[in-house]
Amino acid sequence: MDEYPDFDRAWLPYIYLYGVGGIFFLGGMLLVFKSKACDWTRASHRRWAKVLIFGYLWYAGIHGALTYSALNV
Amino acid sequence: MAMLSLLMQHVAQSGSDAAAAAAADAGSSPIFWFIVLGYFAVVLGFGSYFARFNKSTSDFFFGGRRFSWWLITMSIVATGVGSHSFLKYSGKSFEHGFSGSMAYMNDWFFMPLFIFGWLPIIYYMKVRSIPEYFERRFNAKVRTLATGVLLMYMLGYVGIGLLTMAKTLGPILGDSWSLMEIIWVVAVVAGVYITFGGQTAVIFTDLLQGFILLFAGVILFILGLNWFGGFDVFWNTLPTEFKLPLSNFNDDPGFNFVGIFWQDAVAGSIGFLFMNQGLVMRFLACRSVDHGRKAAAFNILFALPISAIAVSCAGWIGYGMMTQDPTLVSPDADPDTVFVIVTRILTTKAGFGFFVAAVTAALMSTVDTLINAISAVFVNDVYEPISKLRGIQHDDKHHLKVAMVASAGATVIGVGAAWSFSLFDNLYEAHGFFHSTFTPPLVACIFMGIFWRRFNTKGAMATFLAGTVMIILGRLLPHELIEPIAHGVPSIDPETGEALSAPFKYIGALYNLMACFGSGIVVTLLTNKENKDLEGLTMFSLAAARRMFKGGEPNDRVGFPQTVTYELDTSLPLGAIRMSKAAMVHLAAEQGDLAYICDKRKWLGGLRSAHAYFDGVHGFEEAGSMAKQPASEQSQRDSDVVLLAQDVYDHGHFLPGKLLVVEKEF
Repeated sequence: MDEYPDFDRAWLPYIYLYGVGGIFFLGGMLLVFKSKACDWTRASHRRWAKVLIFGYLWYAGIHGALTYSALNV
Repeated sequence: MAMLSLLMQHVAQSGSDAAAAAAADAGSSPIFWFIVLGYFAVVLGFGSYFARFNKSTSDFFFGGRRFSWWLITMSIVATGVGSHSFLKYSGKSFEHGFSGSMAYMNDWFFMPLFIFGWLPIIYYMKVRSIPEYFERRFNAKVRTLATGVLLMYMLGYVGIGLLTMAKTLGPILGDSWSLMEIIWVVAVVAGVYITFGGQTAVIFTDLLQGFILLFAGVILFILGLNWFGGFDVFWNTLPTEFKLPLSNFNDDPGFNFVGIFWQDAVAGSIGFLFMNQGLVMRFLACRSVDHGRKAAAFNILFALPISAIAVSCAGWIGYGMMTQDPTLVSPDADPDTVFVIVTRILTTKAGFGFFVAAVTAALMSTVDTLINAISAVFVNDVYEPISKLRGIQHDDKHHLKVAMVASAGATVIGVGAAWSFSLFDNLYEAHGFFHSTFTPPLVACIFMGIFWRRFNTKGAMATFLAGTVMIILGRLLPHELIEPIAHGVPSIDPETGEALSAPFKYIGALYNLMACFGSGIVVTLLTNKENKDLEGLTMFSLAAARRMFKGGEPNDRVGFPQTVTYELDTSLPLGAIRMSKAAMVHLAAEQGDLAYICDKRKWLGGLRSAHAYFDGVHGFEEAGSMAKQPASEQSQRDSDVVLLAQDVYDHGHFLPGKLLVVEKEF
């Protein structure tokens, strides 16, 4: 438990989570725009699209910061 | 199942006799009982108070679609923190470190489809239950199938919730209480406030319970850090791997990242957001789609990370304590007992009572949501269709009575299920098998139904039937069917080298999803396209859904909320309100637009509010004085008056002399 983890242990899950998860997220965003469920002419829809992108980056940032802190702090 | 069953026995075995004795001792403390009984009294009080807000089935099941996002967020927190979360995640975190709580932090990937797809569909199409959506999207047979599966699953889950709670409280109450006595007491408390209070009582008790849960967890974390002498000491006590937020990729067959990703981040997230009847009802209780979006987004972005700390921190603290003093928390401690061991070390008897109340809150908030959801499915998908078949028409008051009886019945059946589970472990396992076998097809059906117009009834039936068969085959032939897609997750125990009896526990979810989605896609592509009217039922026709909800073209011009006094006008048609011409200008509202009228006091969260439509203008204003004001000033014109129809007044529960705020919806 006290050995320093290698790259695969530390970062591969992170890359997989935001890579494969990112494909689902991006696919969802594309579908939302393609179907016109998100109507870019409406201000509230534009705001929600931004919130969605923020949410993805928010969690990527939290997990990234926690991983970095675990390895370096 | 992670439970506090045989709690003291486990604790004693782990060498923490002092903690076991102290926990048992807390049960004999008057302060402990004061806190626990006080909690039950408050919960029962909520039920009796909120009973007055139930005048229709819409009130009983959806709280009258009136609540603000923050109220719904906190109630979702309480529902989401499951009946055994404190014990399960503390144990997982004690064993695996910070990654033990990763299931709480991976729910965002499907939010675009929820925010812009499922949520507006269920709200605008007034879908009252998951099975109802199946009939409208496919046919009555699919609805019947979904109803049976959902009811069996939810009733079993109520039983598990009650049993978990009884086993949690059992060791603390001592030998004088039998398991069934505890189950009955808990069931009566939960059953009474749900039966009489409905969704409104569920939302408000869950609001209270959500705060208790988060507060208790965060306080425990602070107490733990204090025990170490600060965050730095605590952090430096822990080994590097323990601190990583994501687990090993595929090394450990019992806990690996890739399996948990497919089981929780994908299947679990879709199931939670799209198939959870209790959650669907909670979002339908929001005052608007936008408030539903806010509730969901705030819950996942902020409440879930805090919840992760709340339910897991005992495991982190316990591990740190173990590294510093193995006599305090033994390295061999049963992970399921870590929450109680750490809590008892860090708190007084009164504090321990508060934490028992928090665990009870977690348990009860899951059970109350389920009972209300069962009642909704029973009335909507069993009672009403049968009445229709027999040619009997009932009014809403009758359905409200049936809903209350169904809630009480669900509670009693839940007690029966709890009793059965306590006698036969295999029944509990059967429920787990039932859940993991039948919910993936439901999830796949909903998902494809919303996002794929071509998906047809035959495809839906294939998803159910062929998907289920494929899942069972996967259980029987794991090496042939699951191993090729298992991402290298081993099927042998790394310690003993022996083959696992149930391999691919988590990564099996990937196979289940592929089996269900694959069955549906193949059959749909091989069969004819259906000529079914899907207006409003897929995300490709949300504009139509919005039009259908309103009954006309939406008005999206930006207006400003108006603060007004009110008067009752019994001559107005049902659901109507009238305002001054000037107020209509400020609201940017036109005749026929939808309105939301709410008590001005925002902290009520919409408890005293109602939906209506603008029926036109009244002649109370002073010769056009208001119309001359620029809209940007949106002045608080207290002298303006809104006229309310009788039913709007009744549903709003407005108090005499209180100001109201009127908003145009669209």
